[in-house]
Amino acid sequence: MSIFIDRSDRVLVQGITGGEGSFWTKHMMDLGTRVVAGVTPGKEGQVVEGAPVYHSIRRAVTENPANAAMLFVPPRFTKDAVFEALDSGIGKIVTIADGIPLQDAIQIRKAALSQGARVVGGNTSGVISPGLAMMGMFPYWIDRVYKPGRVGVMTRSGSLTNEVTAMIVRAGFGVSSLIGVGGDPVPGTRFAEMLPDYQADPDTDAVVVIGELGGTMEEEVAEAMLSGSFTKPVVAFLGGRTAPAGKRMGHAGAIVSGGKGSVKDKIEAFEKAGALVADRPRMVGELLRTAFGRTLNR
Amino acid sequence: MNIRRRTRSRNGPRRRLCADAEEVVAAAAELGLPCAVKSQVLRGGRGKAGLVRLVKSGDEARAYGSELLGGALGAAHGVRKVLVEEAVSIDRELYLSITVDPQAATALILACADGGVEIEELARTAPEKIIRERVDIDAGLMPFQARNVAHALGLEGKLSASFVTLLSGLWKTFRDKDAELVEVNPLFVTKADEKGERALVAGDGKLVIDDNSAFRQGGAEPSREYFDSDVAYEAAKEGIPYLQFDGDISLMCAGAGLTTVVYDLVNYEGGSVANYLEFGGPNYKKAVRAMALCLVNDPKVILIVTFGTIARADVMADGIAEAIAALKPRCPIVACIRGTGEEQAVETLKAAGLEPLYDTEEAVRKAVALAKAGGRA
Repeated sequence: MSIFIDRSDRVLVQGITGGEGSFWTKHMMDLGTRVVAGVTPGKEGQVVEGAPVYHSIRRAVTENPANAAMLFVPPRFTKDAVFEALDSGIGKIVTIADGIPLQDAIQIRKAALSQGARVVGGNTSGVISPGLAMMGMFPYWIDRVYKPGRVGVMTRSGSLTNEVTAMIVRAGFGVSSLIGVGGDPVPGTRFAEMLPDYQADPDTDAVVVIGELGGTMEEEVAEAMLSGSFTKPVVAFLGGRTAPAGKRMGHAGAIVSGGKGSVKDKIEAFEKAGALVADRPRMVGELLRTAFGRTLNR
Repeated sequence: MNIRRRTRSRNGPRRRLCADAEEVVAAAAELGLPCAVKSQVLRGGRGKAGLVRLVKSGDEARAYGSELLGGALGAAHGVRKVLVEEAVSIDRELYLSITVDPQAATALILACADGGVEIEELARTAPEKIIRERVDIDAGLMPFQARNVAHALGLEGKLSASFVTLLSGLWKTFRDKDAELVEVNPLFVTKADEKGERALVAGDGKLVIDDNSAFRQGGAEPSREYFDSDVAYEAAKEGIPYLQFDGDISLMCAGAGLTTVVYDLVNYEGGSVANYLEFGGPNYKKAVRAMALCLVNDPKVILIVTFGTIARADVMADGIAEAIAALKPRCPIVACIRGTGEEQAVETLKAAGLEPLYDTEEAVRKAVALAKAGGRA
């Protein structure tokens, strides 16, 4: 079992004829993802990596039913593309777009929630269950990074995910399912919304949360732990501990504002909830050993 | 980068924009004394910084005008123009803004009966005083919500009605301009005039437009005043994320999350950062430009750390080799480049005379040690 995506999902790729779209479609298929069709307005009739291309989702799904949509669509067209997928009743949507207008992101999240759909992203590498399937862009062929295993990973950052996941693997573990919720201030899906899936997943024994300064997503995970709704061990790693207040470090969501979102607050929240907090990437692996030891001793 | 513009209200006090002290004196004479002299700089907290003052005489207008336009105070804050405004007879000051609540994913009105202060300060010291009203971005601001905010601010009768008009206008600006923030602070309530009427007057305003909406908000160019340094401004114009610091090590990394962590690790190891620079994402072919920006800071060490997927390691390494050949940096370079095409990247870096590393923490320790030794390999 995996979270969000497995080999039974029928994936439609929006923007499949573009450079990134076709390149990553091939890799998604190579890993085992079932890509059933692609959509690029004006390009119907083409075939990309064996997947037929249509002008619109409505035309694509009449011949190729799909339950998931992978968007390789520029930020300015992302709202339109997400709404098009929702319009056809697609319930799982991943968008990698970096630079979605803030007010579009609010409308995207609201529309998805109102339909019971899940949008992951933007500003993310996507979702991967190593060895099984992925929606997004992960260098899964680097096996010192994307080795299958029993540790779940949730992350706000792509580059940092490669770094930390390599440490998880170096410590002798592997990854069950990795969800990149992305670095935007208003992501389609928040960390805490993925926790029920990790809780229910028999193939995930612990979860690593890769967070950073800004926002309250990490605090929400800590709340779920405290309330008892999430009970598996959590190891957290947070970027931006030494970041000066008021400066935006990289991701748009990574700023301390309204007195909320400092890494110090997040560490306190996690520690109070019983999570183990790593202050360096390497420590993530060491703390996972501790966490698993603690689980076994129970 | 943020693009900030000061707003101009249509019904505010009479005002004149001035570029030198004599213009300030003339404007003060025209508008009547006392009047307010306000530095036109893109920052908050102007009052506290001494950049806004009420002047009571022509001499005072000339003296303060000279301090700001041509004097040391103005130079320190980059003041190029001042606004001279007729004084408002103030009864009290309110705070009002519309922003985004990221957690709830809605628009959010923030208001406070104690205006004139920074909202972040207020959120920390007296959160209970902040009035919050969430607004559905599709339905828009409802009149009842505007009335509720007016009542919570203690505005009654005609004042309440003009507040509703004001807030509706702010909402329209928030949506039309793709704003992250539209703020009026202070919002003055004037003293009663001879007819017993009070009015609302915007004392200062701020509009922060979402960078991601620049494509549909045309014409908003970043202005130099918003940035800490010329390098930061140059980087912003090219879309390279950059922050100015004053330490020894220039970071030239890829990915927001990883660059932030490298910044942390440098601090943990007792080093100091000269600048934060990301050349990943859409900029991964801009190594030459990125290194040139770093070299402006005359760093003791350049630290390159990447772990890219789309931002291919081999392409970045080619760029770094090209940058070394073109710029001939005098300081040592520590490079740790991994990800797609890393085998080829290692060969390229070796050929360029570098010793590629594979471990981020090891690279940071090496960079800090080199910086402490004065930056010579």
